[in-house]
Amino acid sequence: MSDAHILTTEKLVMQFGGVTAVDNVDFSLKEGELRCLLGPNGAGKSTFFKCLTGQLTPTSGTIKLRGADITGWNTHDIVNLGVGIKTQVPNLFNGISVYENIRMAARRKHLKPMAKEKAEQMMEKCGVSHLARREVGLLAHGQRQLVELAMVLAEEPPLVLLDEPAAGMTGDERDRLADLVLETARSAAVIVVEHDMAFIRRIAKFVTVFNRGAIFREAMIDEILSDRAVQEIYLGKQADVAA
Amino acid sequence: MEKTLAKDIGFWVMLGIGLAVMFIGPMVWGLFEIMQITQYVVLSVYALSLAYIWGFGGILSFGQAAFFGLGAYTFAVASINIGETTVPFALSFLLPAAFGAALGYFMFYGRLSDVYLGVVTMVVTLIFWKLINHTAGPEYSIGAARLGGFNGIPSIPILNVPGDAKAWLDPAQMFQAFMGILIIVYLCLRLIIASDFGRVSVGIRENETRASLLGYDIRRHKVIIFAIGSGIAGMSGAMWATYQTFIDPNAFSMEMSAKALVWVMAGGVGTLAGPILAVILLQWLSLKLGTMHILNNYFILGAILMGLVLLLPRGLLPSLRLLAERLWHLGRQKMDASAASRKATSDV
Repeated sequence: MSDAHILTTEKLVMQFGGVTAVDNVDFSLKEGELRCLLGPNGAGKSTFFKCLTGQLTPTSGTIKLRGADITGWNTHDIVNLGVGIKTQVPNLFNGISVYENIRMAARRKHLKPMAKEKAEQMMEKCGVSHLARREVGLLAHGQRQLVELAMVLAEEPPLVLLDEPAAGMTGDERDRLADLVLETARSAAVIVVEHDMAFIRRIAKFVTVFNRGAIFREAMIDEILSDRAVQEIYLGKQADVAA
Repeated sequence: MEKTLAKDIGFWVMLGIGLAVMFIGPMVWGLFEIMQITQYVVLSVYALSLAYIWGFGGILSFGQAAFFGLGAYTFAVASINIGETTVPFALSFLLPAAFGAALGYFMFYGRLSDVYLGVVTMVVTLIFWKLINHTAGPEYSIGAARLGGFNGIPSIPILNVPGDAKAWLDPAQMFQAFMGILIIVYLCLRLIIASDFGRVSVGIRENETRASLLGYDIRRHKVIIFAIGSGIAGMSGAMWATYQTFIDPNAFSMEMSAKALVWVMAGGVGTLAGPILAVILLQWLSLKLGTMHILNNYFILGAILMGLVLLLPRGLLPSLRLLAERLWHLGRQKMDASAASRKATSDV
């Protein structure tokens, strides 16, 4: 992991009317770092992701990607600079096949023959090769999560944002996902938002906890799990079970 | 894994039918049938303009008649002034395409939602219709062409052979030329849809958010799709103008826009062959009902359309395709079952 920061936000604020969803967030992530974001529902994690990817224009503050101020940029420009996101509810092209979905992602980075190869590699890697011809709209939630992940990875972005990637997955799928995340983190910076504590414990080292739109704690996972204040705002008994 | 156009049986069937009709039609049909079918061909090109932008770009335009009328008037004015039809025909594609690109720029870069997009396209059509209706005076002339207001422009030149302004096409030749244009438009659209650009367009139709999250500039894509559709609608307007040798403001009417929507909806959104099928069926039905004088033509057509939407919500072609697939599977199951029973009998 390099010491240079791939992503930094300074005093980032996102307000919807009178509601502050992201509140003065100063966040930084090093190149190649794997970071988990925790926090209860409504803590502002997904809104934070939407600000990072240009789906929402922040009310104030700045977002820098490898030194470039991308605050308020269009989504496609930010993505083309090197950000890939798997959204909380899988965002897929429902009416077309799994292969076509992934190929369309691969085509952004690769020429035609390479894109085909890359799409096939990603299907294999994410365990969805057997679904290649299936229409995406007909897949189960866990399978859709894997297809979206394959699409994100096919673009080989240096910054990968994963919003609740393990939701709706079976045990096997979750294990495969954890391996995939760890493997991805060897070549890219990754931020994972997740509620599944078993999954978090498997992949996480350094963790940022969000609460009410602001950063509440930043520490190593074990420290976070034993932090009574964190347990009170979010983890509750899950921490005991996971421990 | 990728289904290329060359392996698509439906594409070759359509192309074969198109070429057969183009070459054999004039040999077997009389003048009236040729004139009638030429009208279907022109309207099929018009229907394809909406079938493409709606079915393969997710852009629902309520104002396709704006481009149809613009193309028709462009052709009329240019051909009357120039005295031949090749350049005016090209202009009838280019000018509406440019206007479509400009309108699309404001709509898509302005991030208009689908509902407002429908309203804007409809209003633009109404503005054209109103505007052209108020051009009856002699002061409203462009060169030698008088716009004529609600009386329209008469004596529009018949299509001539490119490079020879005196070589006008007779009805059979015009039919063949228009069939050629329909085939070329269909072929080009299929090629566009099968290209990377076309795949992304379908992606945008399916999920705009994901398309932009993959790094595709959906606004630029939509402007291009809309401009292509506008150009095709404009070209069909020129075909209409030269076929009738007359054009009036009804080319910009809401009825003209609504017809395109009905054809695409009835034929099947997301198909190109379906809307062509719907044009032929519904126009033929209109003609037959018009000669019967039993009930109001529009009343019966409306009832048929409501029936189609309620019973076949996917449209004619996708429903026919589904039926054929089911029959195929049923046939195969029966064949497998009888083969298994034969085997069991022989084993005994």
